Amino acid sequence: MTISNTLTSTYALQAQQLSKRYAGRAVLEGVSLEVSPGTILGLIGRNGAGKTTLIRAMLGLIQPDNGEARVFGDPALQLTDATKSRLGYVPQQVDTFGWMTAEQMFAFVGQFYPRWDAGFVAHTLTRWTLPTNVALVKLSPGERQRVALIRALAAQPDLLVLDEPASALDPVARRELLREIATRAAESGTTVLFSTHIVSDLERVASHVAFMHGGRLILHDELDALKERHVRLHIPAATAQQLHTRLPGELSRRHTPGGDLVVVIMRPSQGTPLPLAGHADVRADRLSIEDLFVEVAQ
Amino acid sequence: MDAVILHIEPQSPEPIYRQIGDQIRRLVASGQLTPGTLLPSVREVAGTYAINPMTVSKAYSQLEAEGVLERLRGKGMAVAAQSPAAALPDRWTFIDPALDAVVRQARELELDPEAVLTRLEQKLGRKSP
Repeated sequence: MTISNTLTSTYALQAQQLSKRYAGRAVLEGVSLEVSPGTILGLIGRNGAGKTTLIRAMLGLIQPDNGEARVFGDPALQLTDATKSRLGYVPQQVDTFGWMTAEQMFAFVGQFYPRWDAGFVAHTLTRWTLPTNVALVKLSPGERQRVALIRALAAQPDLLVLDEPASALDPVARRELLREIATRAAESGTTVLFSTHIVSDLERVASHVAFMHGGRLILHDELDALKERHVRLHIPAATAQQLHTRLPGELSRRHTPGGDLVVVIMRPSQGTPLPLAGHADVRADRLSIEDLFVEVAQ
Repeated sequence: MDAVILHIEPQSPEPIYRQIGDQIRRLVASGQLTPGTLLPSVREVAGTYAINPMTVSKAYSQLEAEGVLERLRGKGMAVAAQSPAAALPDRWTFIDPALDAVVRQARELELDPEAVLTRLEQKLGRKSP
């Protein structure tokens, strides 16, 4: 297994302090993010958290009000043709080449990519049950996204950016897509960024996870580190009343209807002792990614 | 060994590389995997569960560093001829999580510790009810 590019200093994707407002509402607020080559980054957030806007700003498809984005070191708003050819992007809504059939589109597009994998196209079209002789405009939005996914994968890009790919796929096809993504990252060093609200997809293949909430990036770390470092403390009301300050590493706190306190803390490492370890009535639970997200995205 | 022998829960709070490591250690400790047994390739395990191959590599490398597995040239990973006893879990590690849960629930229910012990002894057949 080789990880090409890992030692080069250039990030596949880089965002610095990106901000964007639409109609007076902040959709991105100072988002900074760096994605190293070979990473599979899962971007998670509720609907309206700003995932699509962040992706579009990182790829230079919209101009941010503030901040800068780079793709393989190029400013995102002025990508060179060489950098564009290394990028495969599948938006949620696909509206290109509508007058062509899938077969015509693949034959046309394929000639522009030196590494085009026609065998993959033929195989996956059958697996994902797509009609090849109907104009793309007549397909459902999900079918068009599936066609676009095949197109992006067949070009074997160095960077794959997929906006909510799971919504267009049934569970079997989703599993196949995840397998494809993971294999390419491990064996060809492909960098992948995909947004999703389905946490279980991300947990299978992501090496890193970024949580978006209200236009901000609230957590970004390796997936394993997120699981190992975060703990949820359940503090009964009697003990909670004696707590007047924040706990070390505290990320969020909420009160249960019964007056108990639930605090999520982040430790520097898994071995760091927990606060309140001396209190027998305080319960510490480890968190799944979904639990962690629900706790911090309140 | 076949990849399907493993049981992977991506939604668990336990990182996947630890799930793989713990299960292989357990299989070796219990003798279900004997020295010299070949492990499925990284690609095979990753493909079976649609998980990241890096995660499988991480688990295998850790087990290799502990001496539980060894890399056989041209063949892949195999159970080491002599697995160090220190790396393998003793039988308590299998039952401790269940005992911890009992302790936690007994506290939540505010049960008398002596009564819990008595009940446990009954279940073990050491005391008649």
